[in-house]
Amino acid sequence: MDTLLQAFEGGVVTGSVYALIALSLVIVYKSTDVINFAGGDILMASCYIALVLLVGWGAPYWLAALVAILGGFVIGAGFDRLVLERIARRARGQDIMIAAVIATIGLSYVLKGLVRMLGYADEVRSLPAQFPGRPLFLGNVIVLRQDIGIVLAASLAVAALYLFFRFTKLGRGLRATAEDPRAAALIGIPVARMRMVIWGIASALAAIAGLLVAPKILMTPDMGIIVILALAASVLGGFTNIPGVIAGGLLLGILENLIGLFVSTQAIAVAPFLVIMAVLVLRPQGLFAGAARMKKV
Amino acid sequence: MRAVWIALALAAAGLVFWMPLYVLYVANLLLMYAVLALGLDILVGLAGQFAFAHMAFFGIGVYTTGLLGNRLGVSFPLPMLAGAALAAIVALLIAIPALRLRQVYLALTTFAFAAAAQWVFHSWDAVTEGSNGLRLAATRVLAWRIVDDRDAYPLLLVVALAMVLLRLSLQSSKLGRSMRALHQSEPLALASGIDARRVKIVAFGISGLFAGIAGGMLPLFNSYVHPDTFGLEGLVAILTMIVVGGLGSTFGVLIGVALIGLLPEVMRDLQVLREVVYGGLLILTVMFLPQGVAGAWRPARA
Repeated sequence: MDTLLQAFEGGVVTGSVYALIALSLVIVYKSTDVINFAGGDILMASCYIALVLLVGWGAPYWLAALVAILGGFVIGAGFDRLVLERIARRARGQDIMIAAVIATIGLSYVLKGLVRMLGYADEVRSLPAQFPGRPLFLGNVIVLRQDIGIVLAASLAVAALYLFFRFTKLGRGLRATAEDPRAAALIGIPVARMRMVIWGIASALAAIAGLLVAPKILMTPDMGIIVILALAASVLGGFTNIPGVIAGGLLLGILENLIGLFVSTQAIAVAPFLVIMAVLVLRPQGLFAGAARMKKV
Repeated sequence: MRAVWIALALAAAGLVFWMPLYVLYVANLLLMYAVLALGLDILVGLAGQFAFAHMAFFGIGVYTTGLLGNRLGVSFPLPMLAGAALAAIVALLIAIPALRLRQVYLALTTFAFAAAAQWVFHSWDAVTEGSNGLRLAATRVLAWRIVDDRDAYPLLLVVALAMVLLRLSLQSSKLGRSMRALHQSEPLALASGIDARRVKIVAFGISGLFAGIAGGMLPLFNSYVHPDTFGLEGLVAILTMIVVGGLGSTFGVLIGVALIGLLPEVMRDLQVLREVVYGGLLILTVMFLPQGVAGAWRPARA
């Protein structure tokens, strides 16, 4: 029973990080129809920005974290402004989507390559925990302070995002752009700038997720592969349904831990792919949505 | 004019045979990549289906061919044909559920399938030797053993030429034109009486067949294979080849294979830059040369 609860605890913690990354993928997908295969690498690059500031320059943690999150924003917004906007102007229809996805794969490689050249990637490192201290015990379940911090910080980020999209003028403009770009343009919303902001916010969100999870996992230039789990979480949530995606992230985190407990740790690696395939083939609208709807052409 | 170019290319291909072994190894690698990339491009460039499972079919080809050669000592080209047939069958089976999905969802499902397949290559120790990698016995052609790259080159050249011809005849066939129509606009293709479902499934199968043949080419000039060969990195390499060369054009894909395939050899001392260069080329090509190098070479066809 205790091991089960412990697995559950671990699942909720990693699951909330997956949910955060998944959210970053989904808000980009909703407003630009692009799946950002570089999402994990933006996360990775932001973590290395923090590492360079902390280790190389001896900056205080809050400053390093702030610059890392801003760095994420700049990478995302800059990629949209410099690359995606140009693609959208040249190609058309389905070809835009293909070209954009190829560009995100390119970005993923460029970021990995650049980080490897930094000189900080030769040895495996880790970021310091934001919430250090002795672990707490709930019955026999060990709960690290960092774990509580991760869940709280992730919840806070989601709540802030919700309030931003719901109540600020910029947030509403962003939602209108995602809903119907042409109508948004007609009522005077600068659609191109909105897309850029969305890319920036989504990438900053990935950076936050990275800073939260980096103390728990080993940092390597290949850590961006975590995006696979976020993709699986997004698929579970139907890719556009935001509460569903958050639930999908948590569910996936828990599922992963249970598989590790009951099947084998080796099987954990393949689980997200099986989830993606099974859900997309059997229930493409996600676990939590109603019946499938046809998208109008 | 065209005949002159083809004659020159064939003469150059013949000359390679007398080059040092290192050159032959690179040539063999490029021939294999050419078949692999032409196959991926049938699905992505011709039929416009954004599918990512190619390396899985390639792996099925490699392991089938390698195991038939290792354990049964069957003579070339039977193991290669068996590998290609199996890869094509698996591709057809994947196509049936995948066809319910479109665009990004198709990309995600096939990507997930490829990753799961790689996991199988890694974990199925009894067959693939898992992460230790599989030693490949020298290929036999009846009584003759292929021991080095010079032996393998003529065989690989013939196989690659046959596949290029197959691809060219596919492009000019009714099936090839249906694929292009599907790529342009699925509703329009349906309206003009094209059975979109059937064309997509066949495109998957033919693409898998190419990947399987490429897989059968690998054991001819390699004595070892590791599951890492079938990962994301390999996919990005062939994707870069077809995107940089020009999607949907046989000539373009071959140019792309030559350019991108030679990069690692040219950049031998600059390995650190490899990822940045690959990624940067992908981004710059989709930004500035949507039709690839082939499209810049001559005006895009209507």
